[in-house]
Amino acid sequence: MSEQLILLVEDNEVNRDMLVRRLERAGHRVSTAGDGEAALQNMRALQPAVVLMDMNLPVKDGWSACEEAARDGSIKHIPIIALTAHAMAEDKHRALEAGCCDYATKPVNFPELLDKIATCLNASR
Amino acid sequence: MRAADAVSQLRPRLSLRGRLYLFSAAILILFAINVGTSLWGSFARNESSLAYQEAVTAAQLTAELEQNLQTKRQQVLVLATLRETTDEPLDEAALEQARADLEIISERLRQLGGFGGEELEAHYRRLHDSVTALLAEWRQFYEQYNADGAIIAVESARSYNSTQQRLQELDQRQSFVAVQRANAIDRTITLTDQITVIGFISSIAITLALVFAMIRSTNASLTRMKRGVERFGSGDLTYRIDDQRDSGEIGDLARTFNEMSAKLQIAIEEMNTARADADSANAAKSMFLANVSHELRTPLNAIIGYSEMLQDELGDGLDIDREQFHHDLATIIFSGNQLLTLINDILDLSKIETGKMQVSLEVFSPAALLVQVCDALSPLLSQNNNRLVLDIDNDSMRDINSDRGKLQQIVTNLFSNACKFTKEGDITVSASMTADALTVAVADTGIGMTQAQQDRVFEAFIQAESNTGLQYGGTGLGLAIVREFCTMLGGSIALESSPDEGSVFRVTLPAGPTSVRASA
Repeated sequence: MSEQLILLVEDNEVNRDMLVRRLERAGHRVSTAGDGEAALQNMRALQPAVVLMDMNLPVKDGWSACEEAARDGSIKHIPIIALTAHAMAEDKHRALEAGCCDYATKPVNFPELLDKIATCLNASR
Repeated sequence: MRAADAVSQLRPRLSLRGRLYLFSAAILILFAINVGTSLWGSFARNESSLAYQEAVTAAQLTAELEQNLQTKRQQVLVLATLRETTDEPLDEAALEQARADLEIISERLRQLGGFGGEELEAHYRRLHDSVTALLAEWRQFYEQYNADGAIIAVESARSYNSTQQRLQELDQRQSFVAVQRANAIDRTITLTDQITVIGFISSIAITLALVFAMIRSTNASLTRMKRGVERFGSGDLTYRIDDQRDSGEIGDLARTFNEMSAKLQIAIEEMNTARADADSANAAKSMFLANVSHELRTPLNAIIGYSEMLQDELGDGLDIDREQFHHDLATIIFSGNQLLTLINDILDLSKIETGKMQVSLEVFSPAALLVQVCDALSPLLSQNNNRLVLDIDNDSMRDINSDRGKLQQIVTNLFSNACKFTKEGDITVSASMTADALTVAVADTGIGMTQAQQDRVFEAFIQAESNTGLQYGGTGLGLAIVREFCTMLGGSIALESSPDEGSVFRVTLPAGPTSVRASA
């Protein structure tokens, strides 16, 4: 599990830094991207085991990036967990419709997030 | 416009009342014509009958006259024969009787003169002459009858014959006139009968035609009205009843219906607009709530995340990197302050909206305030690699009497907005004063706004685009608060902007009376 790469897509520097450090402490390898376009490039180049995607991103937002990933044969198998401060029920629905396998609301409940990552990794294996 | 329309506009149909009047008048005229024809017919019959009766009476008189003349002649002839054979005189009574008889004949003749008129005048005149001459001869016969040795002449040879002939002529003439008059009566009766029948039948026909025309035209008007009301009822309020084709009551009714429809249409449009406004306000509030939720969660995410992380680090027994620990705590504090600012913004706007925001005036130096605010906000510049240009016209600047806290918030909001929407550009804060006003302008070289975006950007809960909050953060409250504060301080805010060229927000505030100490 520890060999598998997690791609964290987050534009907010503070939050990105915090999550990277916590995930690494939990034993994950983490790579980062600051916007939707960079996220797609990294997904193609690094083939991460799972993607944590903030939905409110510059250049290309998370929803567009998810939809594009779902159409791209080379990366559509990679599970994406949506991370967003949008907490309304329809936001969750929208994320799942865009092709995300799960959804986590900010502020992140870290143990739950780790469970979700584990579930996604097991499911995709 | 079609020709038919033009004609119907020039000659609008008669009103319902007009139609009824016209209809009644036509019926009355027809009735009068019928009565007149009938009266004239009976008058003509009367006239003809009178003339006929006259002719008959005249014929009787003629016959009686002839009878009298004949009887008298017999008497005269008998008397003459007696005189020749017996020579016996007539007594006075007999003579009286004879004169009376002659007088009666004369009377009859005069009576006969009263009849006939012009048609018989010539014949009567001739008869009168003959009879008068004959009577004169007979009168002479009676005068001389008792005279001795008198030569008795009964009459001149041709007197009686001529009289007889004249009588016959008159008689024939009378018969002829009577026949003529009888024919005239027949013709008159036939004519008046025909006229009466024709008048009656044509009256019925005209009345029926009028009734039919009136029913038809009134029915057509009412049908147009009914169709219009049905269209209105089914919700088609743009439909208009043709009110040019009827004048008077029905035209008025059509116009009233049309006005009602127009008013209903306006009312419904107003209602729809109000509902759309309410829906839009509702949607804006929902969007605002979603944005507030999002904005609250972003700093909370950092606060909770870092706190949990630090707790973990403290708990795992490893050495603590004190510098890193300090930096992480600073992040938690920064995020906490961000959260506080956000909550304050929401509370401010809520206060403004409920009218509870107070203005506290004091005399202060706006130049010093601007320098202070720009210093405090300089960390924002580095986020997007922007450069600050501070352009304060120190010659014109002096103290003003205003609300220091609000001016500070106005400039802070405009400044952080400019930083948020500009990348690697210049943020220019300029200030100058006139005798009674302070102008502060915050200009940027950022993304700018279209005219449509500028029109709405000061509204609460509104950002230039609904996803602007997602891209640039913010709740869309900053500019709403700025505008409200400017208004509260007696000033105004103006915006110049064009897409991709940046924006200039220019705040003008009254300097206020600085000689009088205002209560803080």
